[in-house]
Amino acid sequence: MNGKKPYMVVSEGICKSYPGIKALAPLTFNVLPGEKVALVGPSGSGKTTLLYLLAGILQPDEGALSIDGRPMTSVRPGRELSQLVGLVHQQYDLVPHLSVLHNVLAGRLGQWGLLRSVISLAWPRDRQLAEAALAQMGIADKVNERTSHLSGGELQRVAIARLMVQSSRIILADEPVSSLDPARAEDLLGLLTGLAMTDGKTLIASMHSPYLIRKHFSRVIGLREGALQFDMPASDMTDEVLDRLYDLEQPEPALWGVGN
Amino acid sequence: MTWSSRNRRYGEWATENVAPYRHPDRNVAVGAVFRVTGLLESRRLLTLILFAAFAWSLSGVDWLGPMVHTGGPQALLRFIQALFPPELSPAFLKLTLVASFQTLAYSVASITVAVLIAVPMGLLASGAATRSWTTGLPVAVVSRFLLGAIRSVHELVWAVLFVYALGLSSATAVLALALPYAGILGRIYADLLNDVPEEPLRALRSSGASPFQVFLFGRLPMAFPDMLSYSFYRFECAIRSAAILGFVGIPGLGYEIQLSLHDILFDQVWTLLMAMVVMVVAVDLWSTRVRRSLVS
Repeated sequence: MNGKKPYMVVSEGICKSYPGIKALAPLTFNVLPGEKVALVGPSGSGKTTLLYLLAGILQPDEGALSIDGRPMTSVRPGRELSQLVGLVHQQYDLVPHLSVLHNVLAGRLGQWGLLRSVISLAWPRDRQLAEAALAQMGIADKVNERTSHLSGGELQRVAIARLMVQSSRIILADEPVSSLDPARAEDLLGLLTGLAMTDGKTLIASMHSPYLIRKHFSRVIGLREGALQFDMPASDMTDEVLDRLYDLEQPEPALWGVGN
Repeated sequence: MTWSSRNRRYGEWATENVAPYRHPDRNVAVGAVFRVTGLLESRRLLTLILFAAFAWSLSGVDWLGPMVHTGGPQALLRFIQALFPPELSPAFLKLTLVASFQTLAYSVASITVAVLIAVPMGLLASGAATRSWTTGLPVAVVSRFLLGAIRSVHELVWAVLFVYALGLSSATAVLALALPYAGILGRIYADLLNDVPEEPLRALRSSGASPFQVFLFGRLPMAFPDMLSYSFYRFECAIRSAAILGFVGIPGLGYEIQLSLHDILFDQVWTLLMAMVVMVVAVDLWSTRVRRSLVS
């Protein structure tokens, strides 16, 4: 609304504090639909807090956040929220005791009523959706497997398949590749960004590797102590810029290299 | 303050406050509220009181008088001798079979009713049934109180009450067992449903799942193996309890044991006791197999 409609995310001075600590300083930025944004910054810089605010898990203390033109305060949790934003966690957070099919279909819970969910435990609904998503992730043969039997790489594909089935406008990923070896990290980011490209979704992920950021993302936002340090096209981000962001001995948390 | 020390503080904060962060209006803390009671804080005092009570109870024992009454040793000997052999006549074996079947039927029926009550009550008592725990907590408190109330009355007392109300019917036997067992199972279910890992639940919520859907696709599947094995254990106990109901006149193994004891026919008592053991062991083997097939 008010002329900002084309933006997928509009953040106006959002801040968040935990008892005794300021997690996010007033933060203002916009994200266009289809952008692939990497969040960088040392531990405790506010990346996870920002992702949780975008996911609606936390509410900002001050400032306004709107997604797809809708203020987050007016989005009801459940169905509405799940269609706007989906979040993949560092540990992927699947239910190990359920089948792969059920874990993928959990992405539909926001769309399902109570009765449909109960029936689906025994006779899964929307099965072809889940099967299509798993096929796209290259693990169609695992659909009836117990989730606890899968390897780490397969678990991540199941988590992404769940996100595909949830079909949110924005995909948020909290350090999606931090526990992976380089080859699997490449592979997974390829899947995530491919998903964002084909469906025109917006991707926002916290990342550490400059190589992967330059290769897979279009834009990079640097945070430190909850404050915006830089915001630039990913191709412009040199290793030196990132090194300075992570530098422990940095004398002054000054703003530098502000782009965009 | 130097930068490095500030950073270190930040690092600590990041691992301690962000990683285990739980949404303020989710109800994850309800179980903990119940478990950490004031008594646990003064565990040493409690130990001391219990030890004192034990020491004091020793003074109640008549140490100088005979521990066993005069006819005791002979009676015990007769009881053991009756084991060689127990009563194995076809007529009595048939009676044992029928009595065992009655006891088993009562215990199966009552544990089924108990589980049907305990699952919804356990969910309510876990505090996980609502989105915010400002409503979850009162619901949990009331449910836990109800569960506590029905299990604090022993099944024999329930049986006496129901015999008055309903007579010596099957409904009496089933209700008398189902109520206290629902109280016990519901309490354990609530704790098990609370103790599942939080991360998968958080992921379900961010997929738009309501508290009941989180229960269906998260809490229940993760708690299920433990809930099942505890229910099987309670099923074993229900067989024993169903037999005990014979002492208020409910037909079954306990009733037959009581009759045979009255007639001092210890060989019959042995046969009936063996039937009891066979049933309990059979349930135990069955539960082991079911659990193994679930875990693998």
